Amino acid sequence: MRPDFLRGIRFADFTWAGAGPFGTKVFADFGAEILKVESMTRPDPVRRGVPYKDGIAGINRSGYFASRNTGKKSVAINLKEPDGLELARALVAQSDVVSNNFGPGAMERLGLGYDDLKKIKPDIIYLAMPMYGEDGPFSSLLGVGMTISAVTGLMWMTAYGPNDPVGPGTHYPDHAANPYHAAFAVLAALRYRRHTGRGMKIDLSQIESTANFVGPALVEAAASGREPPQTGNRSREHAPHNVFRCQGDDAWVAIAVEGDAEWLALAGAMGRQDLAGRADLRSAAGRLAAVAELEAAVGAWTAERNPVEVAGLLQQAGVAAARVASSRDLIEEDPQLAARGYWQTLDHPEIGPALFTSPPYAIDGERVELKRQPLFGEHTHEILTGVLGLSEERVKELNDRGILG
Amino acid sequence: MEAFRPYTGIRVLDLTYNLGRYATRLFGDLGAEVVRVEPPEGLPDRRRAEQPGRNSPDYGFSFFNASKRSVVLDLAAAAGRETFATMARDAHIVFLERGAPLADEIAWVREQAPQAVVTIVSPYGLGGPWEGAAASDLVLQAAGGIAWMTGRDGEPPLRLPVDQSVMITSVYAAVATAMCLFDAETGGTGHVVDVSAQECIAHSLQNALQVWDLEQRVSHRAGEGTRDASEDIYACKDGKVFLASPPTLGISWKQLLAWMGETSHPSLEEFGKERWLDRRWRQTAEAKALFRPLFEAFIGQYTRDELLAEALKRKVVMAPVARITDVLGDRQLAYRKYFIQMDDPRFERPVQFPGAPYKMSEPVWATSPAPALGDRG
Repeated sequence: MRPDFLRGIRFADFTWAGAGPFGTKVFADFGAEILKVESMTRPDPVRRGVPYKDGIAGINRSGYFASRNTGKKSVAINLKEPDGLELARALVAQSDVVSNNFGPGAMERLGLGYDDLKKIKPDIIYLAMPMYGEDGPFSSLLGVGMTISAVTGLMWMTAYGPNDPVGPGTHYPDHAANPYHAAFAVLAALRYRRHTGRGMKIDLSQIESTANFVGPALVEAAASGREPPQTGNRSREHAPHNVFRCQGDDAWVAIAVEGDAEWLALAGAMGRQDLAGRADLRSAAGRLAAVAELEAAVGAWTAERNPVEVAGLLQQAGVAAARVASSRDLIEEDPQLAARGYWQTLDHPEIGPALFTSPPYAIDGERVELKRQPLFGEHTHEILTGVLGLSEERVKELNDRGILG
Repeated sequence: MEAFRPYTGIRVLDLTYNLGRYATRLFGDLGAEVVRVEPPEGLPDRRRAEQPGRNSPDYGFSFFNASKRSVVLDLAAAAGRETFATMARDAHIVFLERGAPLADEIAWVREQAPQAVVTIVSPYGLGGPWEGAAASDLVLQAAGGIAWMTGRDGEPPLRLPVDQSVMITSVYAAVATAMCLFDAETGGTGHVVDVSAQECIAHSLQNALQVWDLEQRVSHRAGEGTRDASEDIYACKDGKVFLASPPTLGISWKQLLAWMGETSHPSLEEFGKERWLDRRWRQTAEAKALFRPLFEAFIGQYTRDELLAEALKRKVVMAPVARITDVLGDRQLAYRKYFIQMDDPRFERPVQFPGAPYKMSEPVWATSPAPALGDRG
């Protein structure tokens, strides 16, 4: 399906890099018109982010950019020129939402702050996503995605064991917490506007947004006065519960026993009636006390099998288990994702056919069909003449002066 | 009359207990009436939280179920189903989860509430060979591909902490549900949203899937060949800091060298060499092995607070690696009044509690303690 659930809603979208564009992409996928305002003087860094088709670089060839910008329209405007800024303001006047993820003060310096834009469009919904918030003693701290996990405790808690933080890499939490909290907030603001006629400013500090993702740990620390333990792949209540090495190169399986029945099923699948029969292992507390012994037993069993075989045997026995899947495994071998039609292939003038993930849900039994990402400036002419009603001559003149690029 | 909030007038019948319960909380915080529909013994998360012999509160229960109410309905009995049908008639959203009541009766739920958005969250989605497979947070992070990408080279894949499968699934489920509600309110017909936790996680792998598709490389947890030698966790005088200082990132690297120069630190001798301007070389194991001891020799003389002050002053991308208790005392979060006080009777006293994930210029976000069983609020 090509849902038009957001029909009639237009964004003037100034977000760039990873988190911001991921949050506005979902609106494009649901039928809103997302005008991605970009400029060659400072292109979206993700347009220059790997991977490239066949490893060949190019402003329209990034797969990273593709995955964050499906269905959007690219409007190339040089915001360093006064006439470029005037065009940007004119687009805002015709939009419902303005979005950006620049540092604090950047939009204001361009005359595109909330107070400025409210004068042009009184009911505008304005989304800002600075890292640490728009004001306060650390608001000017420079950071990347991993800074967010450092400051929120997520990096500390991502650890193999006590006092040994590893942290997620650059893949988390940038691509979940902030884009989707942002999208939810904008949807809420749209409903609010529908009923009250009023717009609003959404100041999404990416650190505050991510802190909610460790919310239960924050509540625990506040209520108990103690630091929650770094448990790695283990559980505080159950064992065995870990990632185990399998036969093969860098091959692993995750196994999580979270009850007595699952324990007996696991011991049975391993052919270890001796363990199944032991009285001291019949309770969760008893198994937790014997965690090292149980992990050694499970590890010895998995080491002689491949992860797909182990996960299959255990799933049949009712034990939670899965191969630790790499990107390649997911794309080439995962039967569940394939059966649900998770993958989509979109054609693109420069990249050719490339793989995309569907939005991770089906609606009314169907997948949301994506539209490809825009070429740089692909829709400039269409939007300037259509949405803004500029004449061909005016567009040509702006183009000749380097305003549109 | 109470001021209008974004989801004022929206009734959510909530049968989630794990993967979906943060989604329904997001609606509740913005004004929806979120009613947990619980069997007489409570939904599974309540049974777990309130099991006899448990000697400490289930903090997750308080966090995930704030802003909600609770009704008790025995959906195994005719009377309970009749009451549900009545409630469903003017519900806007029904949130189901595999393993809780009605998850296997979507068609019946739809009949009772054709105008509503019916969202079901499950580990692997509806249909497919793993539809009914047992799952857990660890297992879903493995099946979704994010555990593979986390951890150190030579060590096992590592899961993300604090039930991130729940958080990821819930934010996707909340957004998809809100999209469908927007349409249902315009067009008058409901929708069914079938959310797979595995797919949500696989949707959150940065560019790893494209890296395989376009360049046939597997993104690895060590970040070998992608992450700069300076992008890691380092020990300082009283803890650890995170640094990201590749020459491609703003002025961070230049400023770091200038700072070392000012203090005449001997590590500058190595870092001043030409090879530290070579982006590809900086991503090698050799560069990483060289970088760590020299950088730690430099920052070993400073505390985390001192380093944060220098990072702010010098525009170096560097920040303390906060413990959870440190986050509670974060001065920026305090300045922004991020935390609220939650007076949940499960705790001995009101406690510091995470506030809104977004600040809105209109006063529309509020929360309240998680309900007792049958507490209609």
